[in-house]
Amino acid sequence: MRDSWDSLPVLAQDLIIAGALLLPLLVIGGILLRGFRPLPLVRALMWRFRWANLLFVLLIAVSTGMGIGLIAQERGLRTGSAQAAEKFDLVVTAPGSELTMMLAAVFLQPSAVPLLDGAAYDRIANHPQVQIAAPIAFGDSHDGAPVVGTIAEFVTYLSDGQIEGRIFARSGEAVVGAAIDLRIGDRFTPAHGRGSGADAEAHDGVGIEVVGRMARSGSPWDRAILIPVETVWEVHGLANGHPFEDGDRIGPPFTPELFPGTPAVIVHAGELWANYALRSEFTVAGETMAFFPGTVLADLYRVMGDVRQAMSVMSIVTQVLVAASVLLGLFILTRLFQRQLAMLRALGAPRRFVMAVVWGYGVTLLVAGTMLGLAFGYAAALVLSRIVTHRTDVLVTATITWAEVNLALGFLSAMSVLSLVPALVVLTRPVVENLRQ
Amino acid sequence: MALPLEIKDLEVRAGTRTLLKVGDLSAPAGALIGIRGPSGAGKSTFLHALSGLIEVRGRLCWGEVDLARLRPERRTAFRAHNMGLIFQDFLLFEELSPQANAGLSGLFRTRHDRAPIATRAAEGLARLGVPQGNRTVGSFSGGERQRVAIARALATDPGLLLADEPTASLDRRAADALIEDLTGLLRAGGKTLIAVSHDAHLLERLDRVLTIEDGKVTDDTGVQAA
Repeated sequence: MRDSWDSLPVLAQDLIIAGALLLPLLVIGGILLRGFRPLPLVRALMWRFRWANLLFVLLIAVSTGMGIGLIAQERGLRTGSAQAAEKFDLVVTAPGSELTMMLAAVFLQPSAVPLLDGAAYDRIANHPQVQIAAPIAFGDSHDGAPVVGTIAEFVTYLSDGQIEGRIFARSGEAVVGAAIDLRIGDRFTPAHGRGSGADAEAHDGVGIEVVGRMARSGSPWDRAILIPVETVWEVHGLANGHPFEDGDRIGPPFTPELFPGTPAVIVHAGELWANYALRSEFTVAGETMAFFPGTVLADLYRVMGDVRQAMSVMSIVTQVLVAASVLLGLFILTRLFQRQLAMLRALGAPRRFVMAVVWGYGVTLLVAGTMLGLAFGYAAALVLSRIVTHRTDVLVTATITWAEVNLALGFLSAMSVLSLVPALVVLTRPVVENLRQ
Repeated sequence: MALPLEIKDLEVRAGTRTLLKVGDLSAPAGALIGIRGPSGAGKSTFLHALSGLIEVRGRLCWGEVDLARLRPERRTAFRAHNMGLIFQDFLLFEELSPQANAGLSGLFRTRHDRAPIATRAAEGLARLGVPQGNRTVGSFSGGERQRVAIARALATDPGLLLADEPTASLDRRAADALIEDLTGLLRAGGKTLIAVSHDAHLLERLDRVLTIEDGKVTDDTGVQAA
């Protein structure tokens, strides 16, 4: 049984789950509505209590949308941050907080971090399993965007070679991220520091020319300006990692004694399995710390998951309260309509028809509210995604998946069952008594 | 099809209290009968009993069918197929058109019955001079509304029409016009009418008037139609 289920395509599984969730609603609807045409009376009820109905629909929409938006947003954030960290197999830094170092090295969040020296870098770069050992040097900025010093191989690796123009070939050249408002051929002077405290005049006289532009990656590196790490060192009056006789050469190998230091080294191993050995080897107490950004993110997701769970509980509580208020509203509204409903019975309408009218009325409100809630949840996730993307440059994409649709369908179906209660209560009231009221 | 009425030892009780007691009463199919009496005498209870809306003891036969012996759902089905009801305050769905109101029974009848009900509803409205169109009955006058209610009661082509104070909510002119149309329609169709009313204009147009006092039929005038 389990094997049969697992062998089904994911879409088929989702459709089956959706169908199962909707089954109670469909069965009740099928039984109650068979052979009847209650729609004109449902429309009459909808119009009679239009403002109350609108309020109920909005209440259902908001409560459903909250839950859906929350799940969609959290998933989008997970996916976006995981994609942004995809190219970062292993990061080696000075010992400290893995989260802080990951945010600084992978997500380019400004942070004061200690440096690795030339010997440490040399040991990493010359390890036989290491294919790329990219020093990352940050601290400068231009127009709010981080200016990051690194090596050409890392730029190629990061962009999968999708670069308009070319990669920097000498000090003083730059490759910009897709979201940077600089064109190839433009020149700029980096500011020292980032944010409001940046000193725009600290590097006066330094001119850096844009020679290439990376394709969009959906990561904070879209808003980064990559320059040779030597340029970063040089503009800060430090040695550039090479002996004088090497002239204008950039990139590895670096001379350990002339290596001014780097906050982090991004390591790409030749083989995937080697990463675990490298992490172990490069984690040296008091000297270096190696970590997988994916693992740090997983820990972060766990915390996010706890928060989401707490918020999901709040969302469910809200939905239950809304459901209770909608049911109460149905009781009240059907009471206001009870003479007409009693008249239907007096005219000879079967009990099932009266139930179909009341239940159909409730379900119409629920369907309208749930559909609106899906749209509302999607819109909320879309807006939040844009805000998060704008603030972090992590491309967060809002999508409504079957998980959200099924959540909404589950709510709809459960409520459709509960809507039978006011429909049944209507029938318990004596017809003659209701006619006389 | 109009049905004859036959009542024997009919009793309606609420707990230990007797609300209505009618010994022997019969009426031929197609009779137009009025019921009058003071408020609280049991007129509406009698009408509810005749329509099968309440439980009764004794024998209450419309033709061969004894309503006293039918279960509630069977009585509902009997009503649906044999009776039209008219209420004092119309009880229309104000958000619907006159055609939708008049054809209301079609919503819960079989597919086969729907088209004839809709046709009869349209014909009834036309015969009673109700303005047609997309206007909802919420904008109608009292007289127009009661005409829609009559069209609704007749749309299923019932043999019996039970009316509770059908002219009470109308002014004299509208009431007289309605009485004229209603009695004309019923006589032309050979249908039975039992109408609870205080309206002397209506009662004098009927074949027979029963007076109910204190839950009993105290007078049966046998007034002939004018």
